[in-house]
Amino acid sequence: MATPSDTTRLSVRDLRVHFPTASSIVRAVDGISFEVRAGETFAIVGETGSGKTTTARAILGLHPRGTVQGSIRFGDRELTELSEDEWRALRGRHLALAAQGVGTAFDPVYRIGEQIAELLREHLSLTSAEIRARVQALAQQVGLEARHLVAYPHQLSGGEKQRAMLAMALACDPDVLIVDEPTSGQDVCARAEIVALLRQLRAERGMSLILISHDLAAVAQLADRVAVLYAGKLIEVGETRAILESPRHPYTWGLLNAYPNMTTTRDLRGIRGELPDPAHPPSGCRFHPRCTQVVEQCRLVEPPLVETNGRWIACHLGGLQTLLRARDLRKTFSLNGADAPTIEAVRGASIEVYEGEVVALIGETGSGKSTLARLIVGLEQRDDGRIELEGEEMTTLRGEALARARRRIQYIAQDPFESLSPRLTIAEIVREPLDIQHIGTPGERDARVRDALAAVSLPTTPEFLSRHIHELSGGQLQRVAIARALVLDPKLLIADEPVSMLDASEQAKLINLLKEIQTMRGMGLLLISHDLALVRKVADRIVVMRRGEIVEEGPASRVITTPRDEYTRALVRAAPVFTAEIGD
Amino acid sequence: MRANETLFGGIVVALFVFIALFAPLLAPYDPHALVGKPVESPSAAHPLGTNDLGQDILSELIFGARISLIVALTASALTVALGLLIGGIAGYAGGWVDVAWMRSVDVLLTLPRLPLLILLAALLGAGLPQTIAIIALLFWPHTARVMRAQTQSLRQRGYVRMAQQFGGSTAYVLTRHIVPALAPLIAFEWVMAASRAVALEAGLAFLGIGDATAKSWGLMMRFALNFKGLLLGDRWLWWLMPPALALTLLMLALTFIGIGLEKRWQPRLTRHA
Amino acid sequence: MRTRAIAFALTLWAVLTLNFFLPRLLPGDPLNALFDRDTASYVADDALRARLAAYYGLDRPLGAQYVEYLLETARGNLGWSIWLNRPVSQLILEHLPWTLLLTLSALALASLIGIGLGAEAGWRRGTRLDRVLVTLSIIATNAPVYVVGMMLLILFAARLDWFPLAGGRTPFARYDSPLAAAQDIGWHWILPATTLILHLVGAKFLIVRNTMVSVLGEDFMLMARAKGLREIRLKRAHALRNALLPFVAQLGAQMGMAITGTIFIETTFDYPGMGRLIFDAVAARDYPVIQGVFVVVALVVLTANLVADWINARLDPRVEVK
Repeated sequence: MATPSDTTRLSVRDLRVHFPTASSIVRAVDGISFEVRAGETFAIVGETGSGKTTTARAILGLHPRGTVQGSIRFGDRELTELSEDEWRALRGRHLALAAQGVGTAFDPVYRIGEQIAELLREHLSLTSAEIRARVQALAQQVGLEARHLVAYPHQLSGGEKQRAMLAMALACDPDVLIVDEPTSGQDVCARAEIVALLRQLRAERGMSLILISHDLAAVAQLADRVAVLYAGKLIEVGETRAILESPRHPYTWGLLNAYPNMTTTRDLRGIRGELPDPAHPPSGCRFHPRCTQVVEQCRLVEPPLVETNGRWIACHLGGLQTLLRARDLRKTFSLNGADAPTIEAVRGASIEVYEGEVVALIGETGSGKSTLARLIVGLEQRDDGRIELEGEEMTTLRGEALARARRRIQYIAQDPFESLSPRLTIAEIVREPLDIQHIGTPGERDARVRDALAAVSLPTTPEFLSRHIHELSGGQLQRVAIARALVLDPKLLIADEPVSMLDASEQAKLINLLKEIQTMRGMGLLLISHDLALVRKVADRIVVMRRGEIVEEGPASRVITTPRDEYTRALVRAAPVFTAEIGD
Repeated sequence: MRANETLFGGIVVALFVFIALFAPLLAPYDPHALVGKPVESPSAAHPLGTNDLGQDILSELIFGARISLIVALTASALTVALGLLIGGIAGYAGGWVDVAWMRSVDVLLTLPRLPLLILLAALLGAGLPQTIAIIALLFWPHTARVMRAQTQSLRQRGYVRMAQQFGGSTAYVLTRHIVPALAPLIAFEWVMAASRAVALEAGLAFLGIGDATAKSWGLMMRFALNFKGLLLGDRWLWWLMPPALALTLLMLALTFIGIGLEKRWQPRLTRHA
Repeated sequence: MRTRAIAFALTLWAVLTLNFFLPRLLPGDPLNALFDRDTASYVADDALRARLAAYYGLDRPLGAQYVEYLLETARGNLGWSIWLNRPVSQLILEHLPWTLLLTLSALALASLIGIGLGAEAGWRRGTRLDRVLVTLSIIATNAPVYVVGMMLLILFAARLDWFPLAGGRTPFARYDSPLAAAQDIGWHWILPATTLILHLVGAKFLIVRNTMVSVLGEDFMLMARAKGLREIRLKRAHALRNALLPFVAQLGAQMGMAITGTIFIETTFDYPGMGRLIFDAVAARDYPVIQGVFVVVALVVLTANLVADWINARLDPRVEVK
C-alpha cells in the first residue's frame, strides 16, 4: 500500500477565482491554500457553491484567462503562468481530471474505447497495437469489459461511465488525479463499487488523488486528509479520522450532523440559515450569520487559517467552543438528625456541553442526575467542584456578573405544575424572569413574552394569556415552561425529564419542539432522562451516570451501539430499543 | 447587434405601415394613372421616373407597400391561427389525435412548396385572396409543428396538472394557462410568418402568378425585368432597385423583430432540427 | 430504415393523390374547361384534345380514373403538353438535368462554405469576424433570391460583361470537344450558381455556427480540453462532428429551399431547367406540364430527404437505424 511521502506534489497558495457577471463579481474561490503530498489522498468537501469544482478546474487551467489569481505549483512549475500549449502538454498526462456529471462528459458520437485511445495518442508515442493493449488493460483495471469499449456513451449505465471516466483519467499514469464527485447521482451499489475501485487504484499506483465530494462517507473511506470549503474559503483542514470524530469548526460539526448515514440514530439536523450568495458573501467570517457562537469580531474580520496540533482552523475563537464545563462536582445530602446517614448524590462528576450541542444525561432513579442538573443551574449549592460557562468560572462571580451568568442557563423541571405558579396568569408566568431582572420596558417585555409563546407554538391571544395553569394540559404547560426559559435568551438549556409526565403523543411533539428551538437559537441543551430510546433520537452525545458518578460518555451512536461500560450495556439491553426496531 | 434589433425592426415596420396607411396622401399620383411618357428618367415631377406604361414609379412603390403589408398581415394571421388550432389541439390532446394529425402534417411538410404553390395558383386563378389563402395553406404545417411541441411541453408542467387536479375544465386550463404561456411563441411565429409571406407574395407576383392588377413590388420587378431595354443606362437603378430594396428592407425588419422576440422567450434555444 | 422507406412511399402516394385530385376538385373546373368549346382554355387541335382526353379520362368513373392515373404515371406517362404539343415526360427529361446540375452543385458548395465558415465563426464566437458573418448571413437569407440574382445579372453580366446574360449555354452552339462543352456550360452556370449559393449559404452558416456555439458549452468539450487534446482535434473531431448533426438533419429541408430558389433563379437567368419549364407552363396554363413538374420535383425532394436521413443515421450513433 502506497503511503504518503513527504514530497509535496501540488502546492496551492492564495488561489482566487473570480467570475465577472453582468451585475457583480462571483467570488467562487476567494483565497485558499493547501498542499497535496505525493501518494496521498486529499479530499475537498463542501456544499453547493462552496467552490470545489471551481478549484478542481483551476488546477487544470480550465478557467478563462484573467479569472484566476494566486499560485499553483506543480513540482517546480508555476501553473498559473503557463501558456495554453504548455497546459495542453500537462493536462491528461500529468494532471488528470475525472469530471463531475458522467452523463455529459463523453462525446456522444465516438465509442468509449476510442475516447480513451485518443488520450494516449495525443500524449504518448505508442504504436496502434500498444495503444490497443493499453486501453484493454485500463478497462480491465477499472472493471470494464471489451463490450463496453466498443459501445457508445449513451449505451452505458452511470456506474459504467464513471469507470470509463476513471480509465480515461488514468490512461497516461498521471502524477495527480482529481476526481470530482465520483459518487454523486449513483445508486448505492454503484457508489460502493466506485469507492472500492478508487481504494484499489490508490493502493496500486503512487499517484496523488484529490477527491472532491460532498459525500462524507466516501471521503471517510478514501481520504488521508480533508479540507472543508465554505463559500470559497477553507475553514478546516486536517486528518480525516480526526476531523470526522471530532470536528473543531462549527460548520464542519454542523455538516457532519446534517449528513445521513447508517451509524447515527439521531434525526437529521440542518444548519440554520442559508448558504451565502457567491456574489455577495457576508462580511468578516463567511459563516458568521449561521454560527451559534458568533462574537463581534466574527462580523468584521475574516479569520485566518491557523494551525494547532496538525489541525488548521479558520475561526476567531479557535473552533467549537465549550459552552459548559463542570468539573468534579460533589454534593452530599444529610438527612435530619445528627447521626443521620448522608447520601452522596454527586461524587466528583464532570460534564461538558459544546456550543449548539445536545447532551443527554442518562441514569436510573437515584443516580444523581437531577441533582447534578440543579447544581449546574444553581438551584442547589455545590460542596465542591468548578463550573465554567463560556469560559467564565461561575464561582468567582458575584452580584451583577453572577446574575448575568444565571440568565444564560435556564432550567425546565419535570413537573410543570410544580414549577409554574397556579395563581399567576400565563402571561405573568412567562414574563416573571424579565420582571425580576428589570429587563426592558413593560412594553418590550410583553413583546418578548409573545415571541417566546409563538416560538413554542402557543397562542398569543389576550384570552390565552390571561388563563391559569389549571386550564391547560400537561403538554401545553411544559411549553409555557419552555417559553419562560426562552424569554431570557439563554445559551444553555437544561431540561430535567421534561416529557416523562406527558402522554406519548405529547412527548414526541415536545421533544421535537425542544430540538427545533435548540437548532434555531443555537443553544446548548442538556437533557436529563431515564429513557434511552427517547434521547437517542435527539442527542449528539450521551453521558451515563450511576450512583453519583459518570461511568461512560461519548457520541450517541457509539454509546448505544458499542457501549463500553457494563452498566451502560445493561441499560441498553433493558431499554425498549430492540422491540421498537421491529416496528421502526 | 444587441436588443437594438427589435427596435430597428419595429421602427422600419412602423414606417412601412405608416406609408401604407397614408399612401393616397403620400403618393404624388394614382399608381394606375398614365401621368407621363413611358420610361422617363427621374425628374422633379417623377422622382423615380415612370415605367413602361407611363405610370409614376414612386407612386407604385408607395402603394406597393399596401399589398405587401396586407398580405403579410392576413396570410401570417391565417397561418398562425391554423397552426395554433391544429398544433395546439394535437399537443394538448395527445394520444391518437396527436399522432394522426402530426403524421399528416409531416407529409405536408415534405411536399415541395413552390411547385405545389404554383400548381394551386394555376388551378385557382389569380387574385389577392387566393394568394393569401395559398400562402397560409403552405406555411401552416410548420407553425403547427412548433405549436404542438410547445403545447405538449406546457401540458406536462406542474402548474397545469395542478389546475387539472383542482378540477379545472379544458377551456379553463387552455385560456388561463396554456394560451397566455404560448403568447410569446405566437408573436414570434406571427412575425416570422409575415416575413415569409411578404417574400412569397412578391415572388409569386414576380413569377407571374397572382393578381396582375394589384400593384405589388414583385409585379413591378417583373415588368421591369420584362422590359427589353432595362439594362441600358441607369434605368434599372430607379425602376428595379427601389422595389427590390423595399422588399429586402421589410423582410429584414420583420426578421429582426423575430430575432429579438426569440431571444426573449427562449433564452437557451436548442438550435437543433 | 424500413420505416423511412415506408414513409417515403406513403408521401409519394400522397403527392400523386394530391396531384390527381387537385385539378378535379378545385373551383373553376379547369380540366373540363379544356374540352368545353365556350371557355378560353378550349383546346382547338383535335389530335391534341384527343390525347388529353385519353390521359385525363374525364368520362370514366373517378375510381377508375385514379387507378388509371397511377398506372400511367408508373409507366412514365405524365401527359401531353398543351402548349408545346409534346409528351410531358420528354420535356422533363430535357429540363431536369439542368436543374439537377444547378441545385446539387450549389447545395454542395454552399454546404462546404457554410460548414467551414460556420465552424470558424462558432469557434470564435463573439469576435468581430463572428458578428460580421452572422449579420451578413441574416441579410443573405432574407434578401429575396431573385433580387440577388438580378443584382448579379446587372452587375456582372450587363455592366461588366463578364458572364452571359441568359441561358444554359450559347444557343445553337457546336462543341469541338467535351471540354469546350463543359467550358461553355460552366460559364453560363456561374452566375445562377453563385446566386443560389448566396441564397442557401446564409441558413447553413447559421445552423452550423449556432450549433457549434452550443456544443462548445457542453460538458464533454470541457472534458476534452481537460484531456489536453490539441486545438485542431477539439475543433474538428469533437466540436464540428457534433455540430454537424443538426445540419445533416436539416439537409432534407434544405433541398426544398434549394428547389424553391432554383425556380426563381432559372426564371431570372433564363436557365433551361424545371423552374423555367414550370414558369412558362404557368404563363400558358399548361396543366399537364405543371402537374408533371410537380410530381417529379416532389420525387427529387423526397429522395433527397431519404438520403439525408440515411446520412444522419450513419453519423449519429444515438439514432437507431432500423
